[in-house]
Amino acid sequence: MLKIKNLHASVEQKDILKGLNLEIKPGEVHAIMGPNGAGKSTLGFILSGCEGYEVSEGQIEFQGDDLLDMAIEERARKGLFLAFQYPVEIPGVSNMTFMKESVNAIREQRGETPLTATQFLKKAKEACKQVQLSLDFLKRGVNEGFSGGEKKRNEIMQMILLEPNLCILDESDSGLDVDALQVVANGVNSQRDGKRSFIIITHYQRLLDYIKPDYVHILANGKVVRSGDASLATDVEKEGYAFLGQDNAEETNA
Amino acid sequence: MSQWLQQVIDRGQAIDDWLSPLRAQALEALGNTKWPNRRVESWKYTSLAPLEQLELSPNVTPDNVIIEDIEGLGSLDLVFENGKLQSDISLLPLPQGLHISNLLDPPVKEQSTATTLFAKIKPRRHLFGLVNDALVENGLIIDIDAGCKIEQPIRIINISSDGQESHHRVLVRLGNHASATVIEHGQGKQASFSTSFAEYEIGEQAYLEHYQLAMHTHQAIHIGGSHFSLQQKSQLNSTLIAYGSELSRMDVDIIHNGEHAKAKFNAIYLLGESEHFDLHSTIEHVVPNGTTQENARGIVGDKAKAIFNGRIHIHRDAQKTLAEMRNRNLLLSRRGQINTKPELEIYADDVLCAHGATVAETDEETLYYLLSRGISRSQALVMLNFGFIQELVDQMPNQHLAQWLKPQLQSRFVEMEVK
Repeated sequence: MLKIKNLHASVEQKDILKGLNLEIKPGEVHAIMGPNGAGKSTLGFILSGCEGYEVSEGQIEFQGDDLLDMAIEERARKGLFLAFQYPVEIPGVSNMTFMKESVNAIREQRGETPLTATQFLKKAKEACKQVQLSLDFLKRGVNEGFSGGEKKRNEIMQMILLEPNLCILDESDSGLDVDALQVVANGVNSQRDGKRSFIIITHYQRLLDYIKPDYVHILANGKVVRSGDASLATDVEKEGYAFLGQDNAEETNA
Repeated sequence: MSQWLQQVIDRGQAIDDWLSPLRAQALEALGNTKWPNRRVESWKYTSLAPLEQLELSPNVTPDNVIIEDIEGLGSLDLVFENGKLQSDISLLPLPQGLHISNLLDPPVKEQSTATTLFAKIKPRRHLFGLVNDALVENGLIIDIDAGCKIEQPIRIINISSDGQESHHRVLVRLGNHASATVIEHGQGKQASFSTSFAEYEIGEQAYLEHYQLAMHTHQAIHIGGSHFSLQQKSQLNSTLIAYGSELSRMDVDIIHNGEHAKAKFNAIYLLGESEHFDLHSTIEHVVPNGTTQENARGIVGDKAKAIFNGRIHIHRDAQKTLAEMRNRNLLLSRRGQINTKPELEIYADDVLCAHGATVAETDEETLYYLLSRGISRSQALVMLNFGFIQELVDQMPNQHLAQWLKPQLQSRFVEMEVK
């Protein structure tokens, strides 16, 4: 699904990723943890193609293609999805219009016929129900006036509708109460089908109580410094990132 | 005296018809008018050089103009090609209470209606309004009897072809309690010069739905205006859709002459390439208790230039006026230009008056969000930037017209974006 080799990246001439390696096979769930400024969100942005990040070294292969060579929308159409930590508000564009355009752009790429308004509405209603958002949210402007939790659930709803191959969740648990956390986790779990892969970026272990990862990686100072199974997350929760030592934790405020 | 104005005066003086006494006032005013330059506030951002340099040589083979039918609109169409009416008004099947006659040759009764309207609503300060007074060579008088509700929209189409000059005038009187829909539709793209001005008298409790489609593009120079006088408890709902050309200018005046009148004026302009469009609007609240809502929104791309000057004038007696004016603009390119200026002149103390003007660019973060969901760049830009235009199109009371316009505006926008 995804192979990242020796990835070096910077933003505004500040080195963030310094030789990151990661391989994800179909159906696997990988959690990426690490202290602030380790480069976790940067990884998400680079994978989705956000401008402003410079990759100076390394390769990323996505489903056999060179990911870095693909435009943002092309990546999305080929099945890459990033659930944003801070989704933007777009007044004037209804959530419904936005998601319908998006679903149909991706269907077109897959050679499927576009959904009619009625067909789409049916799917959207189901997805709304699943993430426990009332149908009013479809009519409102994209994320406009949504609470933090509603924005996160709206991201998960998009994930459900777009049926991506690789889902990257960037701190989808931050700012959520336990109930909302469960809604998000259930949404993710419902999409685990043995083929779809996930990268769960998080600070805390608590989301991983609900979404069981196959692998946990600790990212610090731009590299994966430790990998293991789900128990690694529990260790971090108990001991913090202190075991990383001073050398690796120095750039914690980037 | 500029040479350009002198030739207008000479030509105007040579015309001898029933309008001549009315033209005389304009000719006199023109004689005392200086040719505007950049130091004249109302022409500060619009240079008349393209007009002065224009040399027209009428094309022997006229353009093949296609008048698009608007699906479902079922309008009563009056088509003028370079000033010549293409149909015989006397043969038109007019609904009861609607009278349409030729401005240059009206029946006696309509002649007196015309006399009460011609240059009576349109303020004297519009230079090209005076030019139109002096040179008008064709037009219509539309008279609607009191209490008559005319369902069928009246669409006046003006086409300017290569090398042509035309001066067109429309005078409309809505009797008390009457209602009607009037669409002024102008188009042309080859080198031409046209002026068209319309004056509307909206009687007590009458309702006018008005559309101005100013779709001149490329080399077609067009200067025009719509001027409305609102009587007691009357209502006006007007929408202006404007493209730009080498030189396009529109002046709109909404004058509250009767209390409790309501006016809504929405304007949309979409300019690309090196198009130029100048909109000057003036709302006059002469009497108390009037309401005006004005919303102008524009998108400017490439090297285009838009000017919006919105003036609200609340007279001393016009207490309890509610007036609101908004102008929002989106600039798509570094070389594009938007000049926006709200002008409020308030002499009454118990009024509610709000205004705002903004110019924005596309937000990159928002664009990234849409792209990351697989939406193409061009579609994303349409969604982001077109929404605020679409909102005004959706407010048009006539949905047939709105449905016809939407794809046109959208494709125009996409073309602007590509360049």
